Amino acid sequence: MTSSIEPILGRYVGLNIGGAHQRLYFEEAGAGHPVLLLHTAGADTRQWRFVLNDEAFTAHWRFIAFDMPWHGKSLPPEGFATTEYLLTTEAYIETVLAFCNALGLERPLLVGCSMGGRIALQLAALHPDRFCGFIAIEASDFQPAWYDTDWFDRPDAHGGEMGAALVSANIAPHAPQTERWNTLWMFMQSGPGVFRGDLTFYTRDDSLVSRLSMIDTQKTPVHMLCGEYDLTCTPADAMRTTCAMKGATIAIMEELGHFPMSENPKAFRPYFADALARMLG
Amino acid sequence: MATDRGLLQQKLEAMTKAAAAKTHLRRLGRLFNETVLIDVDGDEFYLTFEKGDVIEIKPGPSLKTPWRFALRVNGDALMKFWEAVPRPGYHDIFGLVKYGHGRIDGDILALVKNLRFFKEFMALGRIEAGA
Repeated sequence: MTSSIEPILGRYVGLNIGGAHQRLYFEEAGAGHPVLLLHTAGADTRQWRFVLNDEAFTAHWRFIAFDMPWHGKSLPPEGFATTEYLLTTEAYIETVLAFCNALGLERPLLVGCSMGGRIALQLAALHPDRFCGFIAIEASDFQPAWYDTDWFDRPDAHGGEMGAALVSANIAPHAPQTERWNTLWMFMQSGPGVFRGDLTFYTRDDSLVSRLSMIDTQKTPVHMLCGEYDLTCTPADAMRTTCAMKGATIAIMEELGHFPMSENPKAFRPYFADALARMLG
Repeated sequence: MATDRGLLQQKLEAMTKAAAAKTHLRRLGRLFNETVLIDVDGDEFYLTFEKGDVIEIKPGPSLKTPWRFALRVNGDALMKFWEAVPRPGYHDIFGLVKYGHGRIDGDILALVKNLRFFKEFMALGRIEAGA
């Protein structure tokens, strides 16, 4: 087998978020206008590995992805051993803005998937001046949980294995086996209580519903992408959300589910290329 | 349209045979010792698992057979679930539930703790369909 070194570079940045020091891991590749990529609940930057390795994309854009605190290679903050992790909209927004400030990103394009897409739309409503546009993938205004989030943080069972088995429901049958399992592995590796802490925010905070009408897509375009096999954010959920944002556009993606960039990069690629092209106006 | 009871029995028997041949599945189910009720349009099948093996498929109805959890499903939807490449919403047992084609009753936590095992077992009908 031929060896190869990928063009993705990984580094760490120290930030102060909510009064606590956070050491965040981030990866980047490419040159051009910055694009900030936000991962889903219970996972990390590896979901974006194919985008960061796509020469046609990185020739025109500088892609940057960071692991949220508690996720991937970003350590949890000091005192985590006695802390219940519960993500909030406010903490998530603060993290994204602090990261942009630390890296000196000038009006990046913001791309987020699932809870990352949810927060992208929150930022489109509350801080549109900080970004040049938004691509929200598998994102919706709000959904209550169709599962018990406490299942995923128990001393008598492996939360990662249960979480992976649950989210496998969101992957399309067309996903290549290798990437299906690579996608699930991130959930299997997730720290105790982290997926639950993400889901608590995702399934209980409905504040975006009333904010969607604040989004001015004339100033900052919003394009939505939704996989037809997504059971968590269904095409109906994404359509409803799109309709509440005047001027927003949407593409329903065939043969894809909730983790399109990771589960099936080949099928996702044309939809993402179209989304990026739309952001150029 | 009601699904043929005999056909379902054969299907479950074929899935049992396929599961026994899968080393990884038996390892995943090594702590799974439960009886599960599969209810298809009211036709009941009680599957008893022991260390990941199905040791009995008992046709219902039965009021005397205790079960840990039950998957109750519409027969047409189950056939779509078992298609080689199922359509959106029919690709997972939770999809069947979410879109109103089925219901899961009983000790759902027992299912969730063994979710990968049970979902892969149920999907063996799909492999059989594609064979």
